[in-house]
Amino acid sequence: MPFYRTDELKTGTLVGEDDYGNKYYQNPMYFMGRSRWVEYSPAVGMDYDGSQVPPEWHRWLSYMSDEPPTVAKLVKYPWMQKHTENLSGTPQAYVPYSTVPAKIQAWTPPPKKR
Amino acid sequence: MLIICSFVSANAILKNVARSALAVQQRTNYKQVGKCDPDMEWKPIMDRASQTVFWTELLKGLSITLGYLFKEPATINYPFEKGPLSPRFRGEHALRRYPSGEERCIACKLCEAICPAQAITIEAEPRSDGSRRTTRYDIDMTKCIYCGFCQEACPVDAIVEGPNFEFSTETREELLYNKEKLLTNGDKWESEIAANIQADYLYSGYLTIEYLSLSCLAVAMQAASSADFPE
Repeated sequence: MPFYRTDELKTGTLVGEDDYGNKYYQNPMYFMGRSRWVEYSPAVGMDYDGSQVPPEWHRWLSYMSDEPPTVAKLVKYPWMQKHTENLSGTPQAYVPYSTVPAKIQAWTPPPKKR
Repeated sequence: MLIICSFVSANAILKNVARSALAVQQRTNYKQVGKCDPDMEWKPIMDRASQTVFWTELLKGLSITLGYLFKEPATINYPFEKGPLSPRFRGEHALRRYPSGEERCIACKLCEAICPAQAITIEAEPRSDGSRRTTRYDIDMTKCIYCGFCQEACPVDAIVEGPNFEFSTETREELLYNKEKLLTNGDKWESEIAANIQADYLYSGYLTIEYLSLSCLAVAMQAASSADFPE
Protein backbone atom coordinates (compact mmCIF):
# COMPACT_ATOMS: atom_id res chain seq x y z
CA MET A 1 0.00 0.00 0.00
CA PRO A 2 2.67 2.64 0.84
CA PHE A 3 4.58 1.81 -2.34
CA TYR A 4 1.43 1.95 -4.44
CA ARG A 5 0.77 5.46 -3.13
CA THR A 6 4.26 6.96 -3.14
CA ASP A 7 5.79 5.06 -6.10
CA GLU A 8 9.08 4.82 -4.26
CA LEU A 9 10.65 3.08 -1.32
CA LYS A 10 12.62 5.19 1.13
CA THR A 11 14.10 4.41 4.50
CA GLY A 12 14.19 6.97 7.28
CA THR A 13 13.63 7.56 10.95
CA LEU A 14 10.13 8.24 12.24
CA VAL A 15 10.15 11.80 13.61
CA GLY A 16 6.58 11.95 14.81
CA GLU A 17 2.92 11.51 14.13
CA ASP A 18 0.22 14.20 14.10
CA ASP A 19 -3.35 14.13 15.39
CA TYR A 20 -4.68 13.01 12.02
CA GLY A 21 -2.54 9.87 11.72
CA ASN A 22 0.03 11.25 9.27
CA LYS A 23 3.54 10.02 9.97
CA TYR A 24 6.63 12.09 9.36
CA TYR A 25 10.01 10.69 8.42
CA GLN A 26 13.46 12.09 7.96
CA ASN A 27 16.65 10.87 6.36
CA PRO A 28 19.37 13.49 5.79
CA MET A 29 21.11 11.13 3.36
CA TYR A 30 18.77 12.48 0.70
CA PHE A 31 19.18 16.02 -0.59
CA MET A 32 17.12 18.89 0.85
CA GLY A 33 13.63 18.67 -0.53
CA ARG A 34 13.64 14.89 -0.37
CA SER A 35 15.07 14.47 3.11
CA ARG A 36 11.74 14.95 4.94
CA TRP A 37 8.54 13.30 3.93
CA VAL A 38 5.08 12.47 5.14
CA GLU A 39 3.23 9.20 4.98
CA TYR A 40 -0.43 10.16 4.89
CA SER A 41 -2.85 8.44 7.22
CA PRO A 42 -4.07 5.06 5.97
CA ALA A 43 -7.58 6.34 6.74
CA VAL A 44 -7.57 8.62 3.70
CA GLY A 45 -6.56 5.84 1.32
CA MET A 46 -5.79 7.21 -2.11
CA ASP A 47 -7.48 10.54 -1.31
CA TYR A 48 -4.29 11.99 0.13
CA ASP A 49 -3.67 15.68 -0.43
CA GLY A 50 -0.89 18.15 0.27
CA SER A 51 -3.24 20.27 2.37
CA GLN A 52 -3.76 17.46 4.90
CA VAL A 53 -0.53 18.41 6.67
CA PRO A 54 -1.41 20.51 9.76
CA PRO A 55 0.37 23.87 10.27
CA GLU A 56 2.86 22.72 12.92
CA TRP A 57 4.19 19.90 10.77
CA HIS A 58 3.84 22.00 7.61
CA ARG A 59 6.49 24.27 9.09
CA TRP A 60 8.89 21.39 9.62
CA LEU A 61 8.05 19.67 6.34
CA SER A 62 8.72 22.91 4.41
CA TYR A 63 12.16 23.25 6.02
CA MET A 64 11.22 26.50 7.79
CA SER A 65 12.50 25.04 11.04
CA ASP A 66 14.80 22.15 11.79
CA GLU A 67 13.07 21.24 15.05
CA PRO A 68 9.89 19.23 14.59
CA PRO A 69 6.88 20.40 16.66
CA THR A 70 7.50 17.48 19.01
CA VAL A 71 10.74 19.21 20.08
CA ALA A 72 10.02 22.94 19.63
CA LYS A 73 6.42 23.38 20.70
CA LEU A 74 4.43 26.04 18.85
CA VAL A 75 1.91 28.35 20.48
CA LYS A 76 -1.51 26.95 21.27
CA TYR A 77 -4.53 29.07 22.24
CA PRO A 78 -8.00 27.86 23.18
CA TRP A 79 -9.60 29.83 20.34
CA MET A 80 -7.58 28.08 17.68
CA GLN A 81 -9.42 25.76 15.33
CA LYS A 82 -8.64 22.28 14.15
CA HIS A 83 -6.87 21.99 10.83
CA THR A 84 -8.92 20.95 7.83
CA GLU A 85 -7.75 19.92 4.41
CA ASN A 86 -8.68 21.96 1.35
CA LEU A 87 -12.44 21.45 1.24
CA SER A 88 -12.98 22.75 -2.26
CA GLY A 89 -15.24 20.44 -4.24
CA THR A 90 -16.91 18.97 -1.15
CA PRO A 91 -20.24 20.01 0.40
CA GLN A 92 -18.29 21.75 3.20
CA ALA A 93 -16.55 24.07 0.74
CA TYR A 94 -16.52 27.77 1.57
CA VAL A 95 -19.13 29.81 -0.25
CA PRO A 96 -18.76 33.60 -0.08
CA TYR A 97 -21.46 35.65 1.59
CA SER A 98 -21.79 39.23 2.71
CA THR A 99 -20.97 39.99 6.33
CA VAL A 100 -22.95 43.26 6.35
CA PRO A 101 -26.65 43.92 5.79
CA ALA A 102 -27.62 45.18 2.35
CA LYS A 103 -27.17 48.92 1.78
CA ILE A 104 -30.58 49.28 0.19
CA GLN A 105 -33.70 47.79 1.78
CA ALA A 106 -36.25 47.03 -0.87
CA TRP A 107 -39.64 48.64 -0.35
CA THR A 108 -42.68 46.47 -0.75
CA PRO A 109 -45.53 48.64 -2.03
CA PRO A 110 -48.85 48.44 -0.13
CA PRO A 111 -51.57 46.54 -1.98
CA LYS A 112 -53.59 48.74 -4.25
CA LYS A 113 -57.13 49.51 -3.07
CA ARG A 114 -59.78 48.57 -5.52
CA MET B 1 36.86 -7.56 -59.62
CA LEU B 2 36.40 -8.01 -55.89
CA ILE B 3 40.09 -8.58 -55.43
CA ILE B 4 40.94 -5.42 -57.34
CA CYS B 5 38.46 -3.47 -55.25
CA SER B 6 39.98 -4.69 -52.03
CA PHE B 7 43.38 -3.39 -53.10
CA VAL B 8 42.26 -0.11 -54.61
CA SER B 9 40.54 2.13 -52.08
CA ALA B 10 36.89 3.02 -52.66
CA ASN B 11 37.77 6.67 -52.45
CA ALA B 12 40.09 6.51 -55.41
CA ILE B 13 37.54 4.67 -57.58
CA LEU B 14 34.71 7.09 -56.81
CA LYS B 15 36.94 10.09 -57.43
CA ASN B 16 37.90 8.79 -60.85
CA VAL B 17 34.33 7.87 -61.79
CA ALA B 18 32.91 11.22 -60.78
CA ARG B 19 35.38 13.53 -62.44
CA SER B 20 38.48 13.11 -64.52
CA ALA B 21 41.57 15.12 -63.73
CA LEU B 22 41.43 16.62 -67.20
CA ALA B 23 37.97 18.17 -66.87
CA VAL B 24 38.24 19.54 -63.29
CA GLN B 25 41.08 21.51 -61.83
CA GLN B 26 42.42 19.87 -58.67
CA ARG B 27 42.35 22.28 -55.73
CA THR B 28 44.71 21.43 -52.91
CA ASN B 29 45.26 24.68 -51.05
CA TYR B 30 42.07 25.04 -49.05
CA LYS B 31 40.84 24.78 -45.45
CA GLN B 32 37.85 22.59 -44.59
CA VAL B 33 35.60 24.63 -42.27
CA GLY B 34 32.39 22.59 -42.47
CA LYS B 35 31.71 18.98 -41.61
CA CYS B 36 34.42 16.74 -43.02
CA ASP B 37 33.53 14.22 -45.66
CA PRO B 38 33.28 10.67 -44.34
CA ASP B 39 36.39 8.61 -44.58
CA MET B 40 35.97 6.35 -47.61
CA GLU B 41 38.57 3.74 -46.71
CA TRP B 42 37.13 0.21 -46.38
CA LYS B 43 37.61 -0.09 -42.64
CA PRO B 44 35.66 3.06 -41.65
CA ILE B 45 32.95 2.15 -44.16
CA MET B 46 32.61 -1.29 -42.54
CA ASP B 47 32.56 0.29 -39.07
CA ARG B 48 29.76 2.65 -40.07
CA ALA B 49 27.81 -0.14 -41.71
CA SER B 50 28.12 -2.38 -38.67
CA GLN B 51 27.02 0.47 -36.37
CA THR B 52 23.85 0.81 -38.44
CA VAL B 53 23.23 -2.93 -38.78
CA PHE B 54 23.90 -3.88 -35.15
CA TRP B 55 22.19 -0.76 -33.56
CA THR B 56 25.23 0.11 -31.51
CA GLU B 57 24.18 3.75 -31.08
CA LEU B 58 20.70 2.67 -30.01
CA LEU B 59 22.08 0.32 -27.38
CA LYS B 60 24.45 3.01 -26.12
CA GLY B 61 21.52 5.40 -25.68
CA LEU B 62 19.41 2.78 -23.94
CA SER B 63 22.22 1.96 -21.55
CA ILE B 64 22.31 5.62 -20.48
CA THR B 65 18.56 5.42 -19.88
CA LEU B 66 19.08 2.30 -17.81
CA GLY B 67 21.80 4.04 -15.81
CA TYR B 68 19.46 6.89 -14.89
CA LEU B 69 16.97 4.36 -13.54
CA PHE B 70 19.38 3.58 -10.71
CA LYS B 71 20.37 7.19 -9.98
CA GLU B 72 18.79 9.29 -7.23
CA PRO B 73 16.06 11.35 -8.88
CA ALA B 74 16.54 15.12 -9.02
CA THR B 75 12.81 15.78 -8.52
CA ILE B 76 10.77 15.75 -5.32
CA ASN B 77 7.78 13.52 -4.81
CA TYR B 78 5.02 16.00 -4.00
CA PRO B 79 2.76 15.80 -1.96
CA PHE B 80 4.82 13.41 0.16
CA GLU B 81 7.87 15.63 0.01
CA LYS B 82 7.66 19.39 -0.20
CA GLY B 83 10.08 22.02 -1.36
CA PRO B 84 11.69 24.42 1.09
CA LEU B 85 9.80 27.60 2.01
CA SER B 86 10.95 30.80 3.67
CA PRO B 87 9.34 32.00 6.92
CA ARG B 88 8.56 35.11 4.87
CA PHE B 89 6.65 33.11 2.28
CA ARG B 90 3.57 35.00 1.12
CA GLY B 91 0.71 32.58 0.67
CA GLU B 92 -2.93 32.54 1.66
CA HIS B 93 -4.11 35.52 3.68
CA ALA B 94 -5.26 35.28 7.27
CA LEU B 95 -6.61 37.69 9.88
CA ARG B 96 -4.94 37.15 13.22
CA ARG B 97 -6.14 37.46 16.79
CA TYR B 98 -4.44 38.59 19.98
CA PRO B 99 -3.60 35.76 22.40
CA SER B 100 -6.75 36.71 24.30
CA GLY B 101 -8.83 35.85 21.26
CA GLU B 102 -9.68 39.45 20.41
CA GLU B 103 -9.36 40.17 16.70
CA ARG B 104 -6.48 42.44 15.85
CA CYS B 105 -7.85 44.38 12.89
CA ILE B 106 -8.87 47.93 13.83
CA ALA B 107 -10.16 48.88 10.38
CA CYS B 108 -7.50 51.51 9.70
CA LYS B 109 -7.80 50.59 6.00
CA LEU B 110 -4.07 51.00 5.33
CA CYS B 111 -4.02 47.64 3.59
CA GLU B 112 -6.97 48.64 1.45
CA ALA B 113 -5.20 51.87 0.52
CA ILE B 114 -1.86 50.29 -0.36
CA CYS B 115 -3.19 47.26 -2.22
CA PRO B 116 -1.94 47.73 -5.81
CA ALA B 117 -4.52 45.33 -7.19
CA GLN B 118 -7.34 46.92 -5.15
CA ALA B 119 -8.34 43.47 -3.98
CA ILE B 120 -9.34 44.46 -0.44
CA THR B 121 -12.70 45.95 0.57
CA ILE B 122 -13.28 47.11 4.13
CA GLU B 123 -16.28 48.54 5.89
CA ALA B 124 -16.19 49.44 9.55
CA GLU B 125 -18.35 50.67 12.38
CA PRO B 126 -18.01 50.87 16.16
CA ARG B 127 -18.87 47.68 17.98
CA SER B 128 -21.35 47.60 20.86
CA ASP B 129 -18.46 47.96 23.34
CA GLY B 130 -17.30 51.10 21.51
CA SER B 131 -14.19 49.64 19.85
CA ARG B 132 -13.72 50.14 16.15
CA ARG B 133 -13.82 46.93 14.14
CA THR B 134 -14.50 45.86 10.59
CA THR B 135 -17.90 44.60 9.57
CA ARG B 136 -16.72 43.70 6.10
CA TYR B 137 -13.22 42.56 5.24
CA ASP B 138 -13.25 41.04 1.78
CA ILE B 139 -10.23 39.99 -0.25
CA ASP B 140 -10.67 38.99 -3.84
CA MET B 141 -7.98 36.31 -4.09
CA THR B 142 -8.34 36.27 -7.85
CA LYS B 143 -7.21 39.90 -7.96
CA CYS B 144 -4.49 39.57 -5.33
CA ILE B 145 -0.94 39.57 -6.68
CA TYR B 146 0.60 38.35 -3.38
CA CYS B 147 2.95 41.34 -3.10
CA GLY B 148 2.72 41.40 0.69
CA PHE B 149 2.15 45.15 0.92
CA CYS B 150 -0.96 44.59 3.08
CA GLN B 151 0.98 42.80 5.80
CA GLU B 152 3.73 45.41 5.62
CA ALA B 153 1.19 48.23 5.93
CA CYS B 154 -0.66 46.67 8.86
CA PRO B 155 0.25 48.45 12.13
CA VAL B 156 -1.12 45.65 14.35
CA ASP B 157 0.04 42.57 12.37
CA ALA B 158 -3.59 41.67 11.75
CA ILE B 159 -3.57 40.81 8.06
CA VAL B 160 -0.76 38.46 7.18
CA GLU B 161 0.06 36.27 4.24
CA GLY B 162 0.39 32.87 5.79
CA PRO B 163 2.54 29.94 4.68
CA ASN B 164 -0.33 28.03 3.05
CA PHE B 165 -0.30 27.76 -0.72
CA GLU B 166 -2.57 24.74 -1.07
CA PHE B 167 -5.87 26.62 -1.26
CA SER B 168 -6.74 26.10 -4.90
CA THR B 169 -10.47 25.85 -5.52
CA GLU B 170 -12.77 24.25 -8.02
CA THR B 171 -14.89 27.35 -8.53
CA ARG B 172 -13.99 30.99 -8.90
CA GLU B 173 -16.40 32.24 -6.23
CA GLU B 174 -14.65 30.25 -3.51
CA LEU B 175 -11.71 32.63 -3.88
CA LEU B 176 -13.76 35.68 -2.90
CA TYR B 177 -12.81 35.57 0.78
CA ASN B 178 -14.86 37.38 3.41
CA LYS B 179 -13.98 38.28 6.96
CA GLU B 180 -15.16 35.00 8.47
CA LYS B 181 -13.04 32.97 6.07
CA LEU B 182 -9.96 35.09 6.78
CA LEU B 183 -10.45 34.83 10.55
CA THR B 184 -10.92 31.07 10.21
CA ASN B 185 -7.65 30.88 8.29
CA GLY B 186 -5.98 32.76 11.11
CA ASP B 187 -7.47 30.47 13.74
CA LYS B 188 -6.23 27.40 11.88
CA TRP B 189 -2.74 28.63 11.00
CA GLU B 190 -1.90 30.85 13.99
CA SER B 191 0.68 28.46 15.44
CA GLU B 192 2.77 28.51 12.29
CA ILE B 193 2.17 32.21 11.50
CA ALA B 194 3.27 33.23 14.99
CA ALA B 195 6.38 31.05 14.75
CA ASN B 196 7.30 32.52 11.37
CA ILE B 197 6.89 36.10 12.60
CA GLN B 198 8.98 35.20 15.63
CA ALA B 199 11.68 33.74 13.36
CA ASP B 200 11.79 36.94 11.29
CA TYR B 201 11.36 39.62 13.96
CA LEU B 202 14.88 41.00 13.67
CA TYR B 203 14.45 41.80 10.02
CA SER B 204 10.83 42.90 9.65
CA GLY B 205 9.45 46.42 9.94
CA TYR B 206 8.68 47.84 13.29
CA LEU B 207 11.38 46.55 15.53
CA THR B 208 14.07 47.68 13.11
CA ILE B 209 12.51 51.11 12.77
CA GLU B 210 12.07 51.43 16.52
CA TYR B 211 15.62 50.33 17.12
CA LEU B 212 16.97 52.78 14.54
CA SER B 213 14.93 55.69 15.85
CA LEU B 214 15.92 54.88 19.43
CA SER B 215 19.60 54.73 18.56
CA CYS B 216 19.29 58.01 16.60
CA LEU B 217 17.60 59.53 19.63
CA ALA B 218 20.38 58.31 21.89
CA VAL B 219 23.04 59.80 19.63
CA ALA B 220 21.15 63.09 19.43
CA MET B 221 20.72 63.24 23.22
CA GLN B 222 24.38 62.49 23.75
CA ALA B 223 25.32 65.26 21.33
CA ALA B 224 22.91 67.66 23.01
CA SER B 225 24.17 66.89 26.51
CA SER B 226 27.80 67.29 25.50
CA ALA B 227 26.89 70.61 23.85
CA ASP B 228 25.10 71.81 26.96
CA PHE B 229 27.91 70.91 29.30
CA PRO B 230 31.22 71.40 27.51
CA GLU B 231 34.11 70.06 29.53
